Amino acid sequence: NFMPVCSLGLCGLHHPWLVAAGYSCSGPLCATAVAVKTLPLQTDSTNVTDKILNLPLEMPDFFRCADRLMEPYLFGSRLDQDIIDLDQTVEHLQSALNFTAHIAYRGSVILFVSRRRQFGHLVESTAQDCGEYAHTRYWQGGLLTNAPIQYGPGVRLPDLIVFFSTLNNVFQQHVGVRDAAKMNIPTVGLVDSNCNPSLVTYPVPGNDDTPAAMELYCRLFKMTINRAKDKRRQMELLQGRSAVGLTTSS
Amino acid sequence: MAGSRLEKFGTVFTRVRDLMRSGVVKQSDKPIWYDVYKAFPPKKDPLYVRPVAKIYGKKEEAVPDIFYREDEIRAKFYEVYGTGPRAFDLTKSNFVSTCQRFVEKYTELESWGELEKQSLFEETGKALLAEGLVLRRRGGPAVASATRDPVLGMKLTDMLAELQTDAPGETPTTPGEETQAPVTPQ
Repeated sequence: NFMPVCSLGLCGLHHPWLVAAGYSCSGPLCATAVAVKTLPLQTDSTNVTDKILNLPLEMPDFFRCADRLMEPYLFGSRLDQDIIDLDQTVEHLQSALNFTAHIAYRGSVILFVSRRRQFGHLVESTAQDCGEYAHTRYWQGGLLTNAPIQYGPGVRLPDLIVFFSTLNNVFQQHVGVRDAAKMNIPTVGLVDSNCNPSLVTYPVPGNDDTPAAMELYCRLFKMTINRAKDKRRQMELLQGRSAVGLTTSS
Repeated sequence: MAGSRLEKFGTVFTRVRDLMRSGVVKQSDKPIWYDVYKAFPPKKDPLYVRPVAKIYGKKEEAVPDIFYREDEIRAKFYEVYGTGPRAFDLTKSNFVSTCQRFVEKYTELESWGELEKQSLFEETGKALLAEGLVLRRRGGPAVASATRDPVLGMKLTDMLAELQTDAPGETPTTPGEETQAPVTPQ
């Protein structure tokens, strides 16, 4: 999955002073598949932003086939490559991770879904490290909608579904997105420029093609969920101790 | 538990909220995420957007193209010199390509402001040559004609004929007095 960049001629643009001297752009620039990026002029200095900016996250699809609904999230298009606006990505990622953390704190079942075979193992191991669940194989039609019959009565459905790629192998929207909306389950989804973000509750515009980007997202979600669960355990211990303290003192 | 499977109407939150308001879903059965969503709603409601039929005719560009001032220089560079002499080494993140060096030198010379636009291009080439970067123009001959051995232009049959006339007492079996047709591969 490599970019035919060099054949286009104008490649390897990654200099901050270009931003100052250039026409229109004052945001993050795209470089090539491996090397990246300049420091933009924004003053946001969160750790996440720095990490994101140093990765080819805003380098999505290679042809101008951006979904119409993704156009507000795009920064521009450089030689037919759609560049995602990272400022928006940071905000969306922040809210998505916050939601995930709160949900994990309340003790819920989270399901990671990704139909990208390249990252199947990564997603599954992330889920295992968090203590949550993953589904990276063929999605059977009635998985959510016909669950009581397929898995037995009284089965508990996930309370949050995290899509690491909202597309399936035929570049159509994953059935899980629609099914989760049907079953009133909120979703967090990594939407690339050829995805439809309308049904995803907390879309995060970003690149889902490169391993570096996927590893970053997996790491972030794993960290969020683990921290939320640790906090939960901590609070329970504190409450347990305070309850014991009250009973012994009284 | 009751639910609403109408994903095309309203968002997940509105449906659950209305179900609770109407009493179909009890407060005790409230989903875990309900309060969290209420406290931290997403920026845009996840409403289902119906796919619009394709609009034929003129469509305005919603996504702006990104171009820089340096692109003019780069375009000219690639037109004249083709791809540079050195390939791009993407394993290094601070790699400066030939074209980028050219652009930097060009802007440097431009900032000095002594030369005019037409000669700026040539001057940059010369300046880079002085630094040791050789640029070769595109479209030139693959091999310089001066260095080509004239023997390569001769036909094999004529050479054979020469050999045979040199050899003693042989009937010259020339295949015919053909002219040097330019059929030999260059």
